[in-house]
Amino acid sequence: MPVEIPKDSWEGTVRTVTLGATSAEGGTRSRTITVGGQKTLPFMNFEQTAPNRPVVAVEIKERRPTDWSPLLLDVWGDAANDPAAWAKQAEAVGADLLVLALTLTDADGAPTTPQAAVAATKAVLGASALPLIVFGPGQAEADNELLLAVAEATKGERLALGICEDKNYRTIVAAALANDHCVTARTPMDVNLAKQLNILIHDMGLPLDRILMDPTTGALGYGIEYGYSVMERLRLAALQGDAMTQLPMLVTPGFEAWKTKESKVGQDVPEAWGDWAERAINWETLTAVALVESGADIVVLRHPESVRRIHKAIDELTISPEMA
Amino acid sequence: MYIIGENIHIISEKVKEALKARDAKFFQELAVKQVEAGAEALDLNLGPRKNDWAEVFPWMVETVEAVVDVPLSFDSTNILGIEAGLKKVSKAKPIINSTSAEPERLEKVPLIAKQYNARLIALTMGASGIPVSADERVNIALEKLIPRMMEIDYPMEDLIIDPLVLTVSGCQEYCPQLIETIRTLQFAWDPPPAISVGLSNVSNAVPNENRPLINRTYCAMLMGVGLKMMIANPLDEPLKETVRIIEERDESTPVGRLYLKLHDRIAASEAPSIEDVDMSDPEQLAIWKTVQVLLNKVIYADAYLQQETSAL
Repeated sequence: MPVEIPKDSWEGTVRTVTLGATSAEGGTRSRTITVGGQKTLPFMNFEQTAPNRPVVAVEIKERRPTDWSPLLLDVWGDAANDPAAWAKQAEAVGADLLVLALTLTDADGAPTTPQAAVAATKAVLGASALPLIVFGPGQAEADNELLLAVAEATKGERLALGICEDKNYRTIVAAALANDHCVTARTPMDVNLAKQLNILIHDMGLPLDRILMDPTTGALGYGIEYGYSVMERLRLAALQGDAMTQLPMLVTPGFEAWKTKESKVGQDVPEAWGDWAERAINWETLTAVALVESGADIVVLRHPESVRRIHKAIDELTISPEMA
Repeated sequence: MYIIGENIHIISEKVKEALKARDAKFFQELAVKQVEAGAEALDLNLGPRKNDWAEVFPWMVETVEAVVDVPLSFDSTNILGIEAGLKKVSKAKPIINSTSAEPERLEKVPLIAKQYNARLIALTMGASGIPVSADERVNIALEKLIPRMMEIDYPMEDLIIDPLVLTVSGCQEYCPQLIETIRTLQFAWDPPPAISVGLSNVSNAVPNENRPLINRTYCAMLMGVGLKMMIANPLDEPLKETVRIIEERDESTPVGRLYLKLHDRIAASEAPSIEDVDMSDPEQLAIWKTVQVLLNKVIYADAYLQQETSAL
């Protein structure tokens, strides 16, 4: 008996956001990355083929991190000592774009200066031609000071600057507005707050095609179901026509997964947990795959092997029904 | 619309302070003000009063009954406190607010209501919390609340079912479900049980400037499914005006016509339509945006009124 597959038709479309600018567009990137544009739920290829695939960003830092798992530091090796080398290496392992996450202090414990942040950003832009997202250290005052300097020094590159939060977004949005950049808007796993922050940022005059929302997530086993549900709800609202939720989503499964005990700890854990490195990579990969399936457009990862596996998963998920 | 005045509520700082100081004049003025504004009963939410219930509940009854004659609604989780208050009541038939379907409460509270000849508000909430769906809430009334009343021979006409209003800011999916719960509950028993809701809960955690609009828009929608009793703010004049417009079917103003249209659409189980709205009128536009969030069609955000219309 032939089975008719029911198809949904939605009135709303997710907006597209383009990161990076080529020389023709006033920047220095070899190519740009465009995310969003979906007219249906993720990977419903029999309904509509999404115009843009989810992409993988690799997180790097301006100096060797002191709080990262040894598994990560080992795999990146000496590249993690230098943002330019790290950027090159990340591009080589398959990053679609880069996230430079600035640290609060320098190696001596002094506050990271705007000059150092700009130097690191320029080093990354010089070493790799991929589009770039720059995150502040996550403390309002430092974020504003560092991101403002970075925004001005990279005018026209169409970076995404983060992290805008409801308590601190004005300076970052103003810096993005003045220097032709985009922003990421983070809210703590809550659909109402996510939408509210989008409205507030948009009210400052930043066009919606320059805002990525980061609804925050938890790692596998650590609240991913909440993050998943929030993203799913936001995407459904977007498809139903709610304009202030029609923004592509960025999430940071790498950061989340590498905080968990399963990834962090290699000793004194049950033998049944198996090989540490394999487990840690699985944790990051499975977290990221679930989020891609809930509608993430950009996943920020840390381990090169996770990058490879996520690309493979996205390849398989985006195969059109005719090809399958 | 039978309004149980909500303003003597411990969540208000002024009430909290006045209670601490046993400021009888404050409560008497607040009671009189509400009754003069049309409240037909007064809710007394004093909190659990773990340490001083034996003194506070009777004191409040005595204080308020000195100036008004309306029924008092004892809104507390402290059964001992409620009982102490009930013993002191000398005027109108009081109300207990509330029991739930949670076994221990359902065991004790209806017996007290019966003993003191009090009306009883019963929440459609079991031990595992408040169900989202209308069906489940109706089932709690049918399978738990009503059978318990029958069991103890409690007069059905004194039972008031409260199917629970939750806030649009965080529990948005509950808002349209409540409408259907009220619609169905009226078929749950013959004659239909009295139904009351705590209207203002719909705008808990919403910025103050937006609360009255959300409250009165929801009120119009709930009246569409037959709501005739609510715990609400009797001093909210635009809310009462909305109730009046609907009760008198006053079609003399454009906004009034919109509230009536909204009421009629909900009554007929139809989706409110953008055709009913004059989008060039900012007040109607705000009502329409509010309807959209209350029906869970558009995600609520504190700034939802600022969202462009094309977004809807």
